Amino acid sequence: MRLGLVLAEGREAELARLAEAHGLFGVLAGLGNPLTAVSAAVYASTATEFVRIAVRVRLGLEHPITLAEELSILDNVNNGRTVVIADTGELDAEAAADEVAVLREALASRPIEHEGARWKVPAGLPANVTAPNSISVTPKPAQLEVPFWVMGPQAAEAGRVAGLQILARTPSDVSDPKLLQPGVTAIKGELAIDRAHVTAWASASVTHLFVELPMQAETGKVMALVSRYLAPEVGMPHFPRVMSDSRVPLPWPGERRD
Amino acid sequence: MVATQLPVNAPLVVETDQGGLMRFGVGLFSLQCTAMQPAHWAGAYRDMREHAVLMEELGYDELWLSEHHFFYDGYCPALLPAAASVLSVTERLRVGTGMLLLPMQDPIRLAAVAGDLASRSGGRLDLGVGMGYRDIEFDGHGISRKQRLPRMVKGLEVLEAAEAAGGPPIWMGAQLFDPVRRAGERGHPILFSAALPFERCKTLAKVWEEGWVGAGRQLADKPALGALRNIWLTEDPKEREAARDWVRASYVQYAGLGWTLPAVGEHEQADFAEETDKAIADTVETTITGSAEECIHQLREFEAIGIEHIAFRLMLDGEPRAALESQLRRLAEEVMPSLRPKMAA
Repeated sequence: MRLGLVLAEGREAELARLAEAHGLFGVLAGLGNPLTAVSAAVYASTATEFVRIAVRVRLGLEHPITLAEELSILDNVNNGRTVVIADTGELDAEAAADEVAVLREALASRPIEHEGARWKVPAGLPANVTAPNSISVTPKPAQLEVPFWVMGPQAAEAGRVAGLQILARTPSDVSDPKLLQPGVTAIKGELAIDRAHVTAWASASVTHLFVELPMQAETGKVMALVSRYLAPEVGMPHFPRVMSDSRVPLPWPGERRD
Repeated sequence: MVATQLPVNAPLVVETDQGGLMRFGVGLFSLQCTAMQPAHWAGAYRDMREHAVLMEELGYDELWLSEHHFFYDGYCPALLPAAASVLSVTERLRVGTGMLLLPMQDPIRLAAVAGDLASRSGGRLDLGVGMGYRDIEFDGHGISRKQRLPRMVKGLEVLEAAEAAGGPPIWMGAQLFDPVRRAGERGHPILFSAALPFERCKTLAKVWEEGWVGAGRQLADKPALGALRNIWLTEDPKEREAARDWVRASYVQYAGLGWTLPAVGEHEQADFAEETDKAIADTVETTITGSAEECIHQLREFEAIGIEHIAFRLMLDGEPRAALESQLRRLAEEVMPSLRPKMAA
């Protein structure tokens, strides 16, 4: 299992940079305010070079073509590192699945001509006399296919209809141990407790787990705990702890800081 | 979050009686990767960030973005994420949307996103809005073109309330008498198109002032207006010829988009869709070229009619990167200092 970091609102660039420096696989932006998630993800993107940028996209708040256009810009800003986590919000499962379908079709490399339970794209409205019967959202994303996961009240049903993995909130949410399985959880910044906690997620066959730092934590210390103990221990079976428990190599020049 | 707002016309340095009052930007950053100048879109977004950092180093004040949808070259369809990418790598440069097509968005969500971005950036976002004109763009977003004016008005009401509460300042794009006058009445500065000849900018600036005063305001309190200008500083006839051809090539893209500049007063219609060659040739003639003294002379004419934000329209189709960067440096070093507030001793 690989660990990622939930980005606190307003600190996205700083925390994303830190996550990358600590070798985490990715970061998750927009878990707080869904309206500002894409901006938060852009700030995380320009602060980093390698980490995956997962962004929560709340459905039902804007036309999905507008959302797709924003996501495509994001994917070009970060050169193909975007992962979309579609939040079903207040939509029912059928509407959410249709909205996800429009998003995915819009971000694919074919023209879109969609008629579903919630959306018809293009709309074919009488006043738009010169509009054609298909459109292509441009620019296209930088990556071949943007990964989509789903969360929210209707995640299970919308995910089933759309054929997408849900973002697990507990280890028991894992549906198929053979598939990629993302999850998100909070840690406490206490080694014994957090070690047992993330180990339970790994045992449930979660593959990518975003951890949320405690609110009042000293960020550097908790991140050191994550990258020195938690990430290696769930990164391979039977991790020999002698390596993490050993003394940190001496810095030079400069003073030891641990 | 409440934005810490830098006033749009805040002096950047202490003003003295030397020099002028002008602010300088560059545009339009549309992130197009065209048939004539192919590139990777991710590279275009990286280049924009690098150019923004260079502009900030050179003392530019503003960067302006532009929006269209569903076009082969990737013309930027979502300006706030693009603005965020520039704001996140700069510290002083303002970023303006010139123009964000307001009827195609939910204004409440837009106000929230723009307010957050203004807050994150220390108040460096200018929210320019326009109506849009392409049927395909409305239809792709599920909106009837017939609804664009009521949606525009409703959207402005939402954004104006947000501005009053500390959100980003609103700019408008318009080129006909009535919309320009309405922008003046509402108190929003205009960024005039680069395709408008100086005399038409002068006429429209007067119309805007009529709207401003007609709404019961004092002329002395009006904000500075803005204009995009095609410009190329050079003494070399061959470079001048090339630069004018890059201007031509960039307007060919607008012909592809079906853009037209309607007739107003004594100005005939510039129809980029039907009379492409003539409209483009007329627009190329608006280009300011020549020595630094010649450029300064022509820019002072804009200052004299209250257009004090000048966005150099330097993002041209076919233009090599080295030529762009050289021009950014020359304009910053040889033109801008004569037209800006001088630093007090």
